[in-house]
Amino acid sequence: MGDHQENIYELRPATIMRTLPQIRDHRLFQLKLDDGGSWESFGHQPGQFIEVSIFGKGEAPISISSPPTRCDSLEICVRRAGKLTNALFALGKGSRLHIRGPYGRGFPVETLKGKKLLFVAGGLGLAPLRSLLLYVLDRRHEFDDLILMYGTNNPDNVLFKYELLSFFDREDIKYLYSVDRDEEGIWKQYVGVVTGLFDRTTLSPQDTYAVLCGPPIMYRFVVERLLRLGFPKEHIYMSLERMMKCGLGKCGHCAIGDRYCCTDGPVFNLSEIENIKEAI
Amino acid sequence: MKLLAKENVPEVLRAWSGQYKILCPAKKEQGDCIFDTFDEDTFTLDYRKPPMPPKSAVFPPSSVLFSVQQGNYTRVPSEERSLLFGIRSCDLMGLHQLKSFYLRDKEDIYVQKKMDDIVVVVHACSRPQNETCFCTTMQSGPYAEHGFDLQLFDMENDFLVEVGSDVGRTLTSLDAFTEFTEADAAERISLIKQKAFDSIPLVPDVAKAMDILKETGACDEVWERLGSKCITCGGCVYVCPTCTCFTVTDRVFAHENGERIRSWDTCLYGGFTREASGHNPRPTQGSRLKRRHEHKLLYYNEVDIQGTLSGCVGCGRCSDFCPVHIGTLEVVKAIVDKTA
Ligand SMILES: Cc1cc2nc3c(=O)[nH]c(=O)nc-3n(C[C@H](O)[C@H](O)[C@H](O)COP(=O)(O)OP(=O)(O)OC[C@H]3O[C@@H](n4cnc5c(N)ncnc54)[C@H](O)[C@@H]3O)c2cc1C
Ligand code: SF4
Ligand code: FES
Repeated sequence: MGDHQENIYELRPATIMRTLPQIRDHRLFQLKLDDGGSWESFGHQPGQFIEVSIFGKGEAPISISSPPTRCDSLEICVRRAGKLTNALFALGKGSRLHIRGPYGRGFPVETLKGKKLLFVAGGLGLAPLRSLLLYVLDRRHEFDDLILMYGTNNPDNVLFKYELLSFFDREDIKYLYSVDRDEEGIWKQYVGVVTGLFDRTTLSPQDTYAVLCGPPIMYRFVVERLLRLGFPKEHIYMSLERMMKCGLGKCGHCAIGDRYCCTDGPVFNLSEIENIKEAI
Repeated sequence: MKLLAKENVPEVLRAWSGQYKILCPAKKEQGDCIFDTFDEDTFTLDYRKPPMPPKSAVFPPSSVLFSVQQGNYTRVPSEERSLLFGIRSCDLMGLHQLKSFYLRDKEDIYVQKKMDDIVVVVHACSRPQNETCFCTTMQSGPYAEHGFDLQLFDMENDFLVEVGSDVGRTLTSLDAFTEFTEADAAERISLIKQKAFDSIPLVPDVAKAMDILKETGACDEVWERLGSKCITCGGCVYVCPTCTCFTVTDRVFAHENGERIRSWDTCLYGGFTREASGHNPRPTQGSRLKRRHEHKLLYYNEVDIQGTLSGCVGCGRCSDFCPVHIGTLEVVKAIVDKTA
């Protein structure tokens, strides 16, 4: 007790080990903890997030992009959006920042084990989904068939391009991707919205679990499609974004009905949120 | 049971102020009454519900989460012990709801410390403070059942003093507190309570509106109509004893030096939910008012409401202060009328 009591808002110092430019305004940061802690003991699960802090620039929730099966560093993929993220882009290798976490309820890894999986990502939605994707690939034998559908607005905006390209060589993942527009005509794959990819594969809804990460508009269309195909609601998971100021269920910003996106989510099952009008 | 003559109250407060920072009713120059640090010249027992609830004592409008030096964050513990003198039972319930919310699941050390260090002397109401009081409907008043250190019952020239805790018992060790026979006191208090309860009208619309929200929801038209009137001043939230939302900002003194602060925020502001992409899950003022009132009347947490009816304690302040009449009383009426 006394002043040794845990402060839930406590920050931990971390250092940027490497920055890897992705596409325009998107960068991958590899972090290490400065207080001697290991990422193994950090205990993050796929789909969880951290709060990243730079004093004077504030804090922002950022998804953990790397899986717990790869604990050399913690990876975050950041889009330059405002105050904190701009300041982060100005930092290079060796710079110090602070983090809190891991926060939230991630993807239902145990439920997904042994199941056929359909991952649908749009844009930066691949950042949180990558933690699960790599987890599944690292423990491939624990899961059944895997299909990844990934859509971006144009061919220049494909995140983790080389990682994704390598999937074409693998037998154990079916990878389909789309771009909304291809003005220069350079795209060899599907052009159109991500739901169009559903016509390019057959799915078995009763034993497949779908995991979605992307913008709200994508959820509306993909959910509708999945339901039409006969996916039970309980088989559809999605990661929701909300404005967040604490990550701990206290500041109130991320409330969705009687839930808090930061602690009850960010990953929700469709059946949990379908009756809450503002959810998606 | 103890008895305290009203004329001796300033003397008692003076004695207690050696140990506590006393917050008590104070008459201001314009004649209104607020809760302020004890000062014999402004102290008064002739007061109504003050504009602000006592939540600032445990959750200040703005407070330092961390002091930042050379980029290192440290929590600065506050040593102050406050004694709230004369708060009403609805406000006591507000404090308990707020405490439950902040300490449940993940304990907020800032609120917890302040709650641990606070001493509460409740002034039971003998009659409504004004026409917007609906504590009897919300089951938060007009007197407190538990959760106080002392509770005062009004008997013209004296207070009958109910002791609610060990700290409370110690407080009554001063000479100004005299003995009063238990049986007699119990009878008096039960009469005072009954009379007070009967003097505050019940508002059946509250339970009706709660049922409507639960079963079908109120139609969007109700919210949008209210939304078109709201001037987004945030007043209702700031005077609410149970609103807990905050935002976090940095106050920079020099490079890597300053303070990280948390301040009251409200779900009624458009930026409260606006995401970086520009997408806003609550895009209209109507949808934001809906959130605020559904949080109080539908999405409250069973644990947090501490046995009362909902996340609203019925103090009536939002109805008192909203410049365009969108208090909880008006909102439940709009919900019921529209569906009736
Ligand atoms: C669970 C979760 C996971 C996330 N994961 C990631 C991730 O992996 N990668 C990632 O890049 N992002 C992620 N985000 C989003 C990220 O948290 C936001 O982009 C965050 O706002 C960035 O903070 P910032 O300080 O840089 O932006 P801010 O300064 O907050 O600004 C963001 C945008 O809002 C605008 N804005 C700010 N204030 C106002 C105002 N008052 N009025 C109008 N407009 C305003 C700015 O102009 C800017 O366009 C995630 C969010 C959540 C909730
Ligand atoms: S007090 Fe009234 S006008 Fe002001 S924010 Fe609240 S509902 Fe809107
Ligand atoms: S981010 Fe603060 S309550 Fe969810």
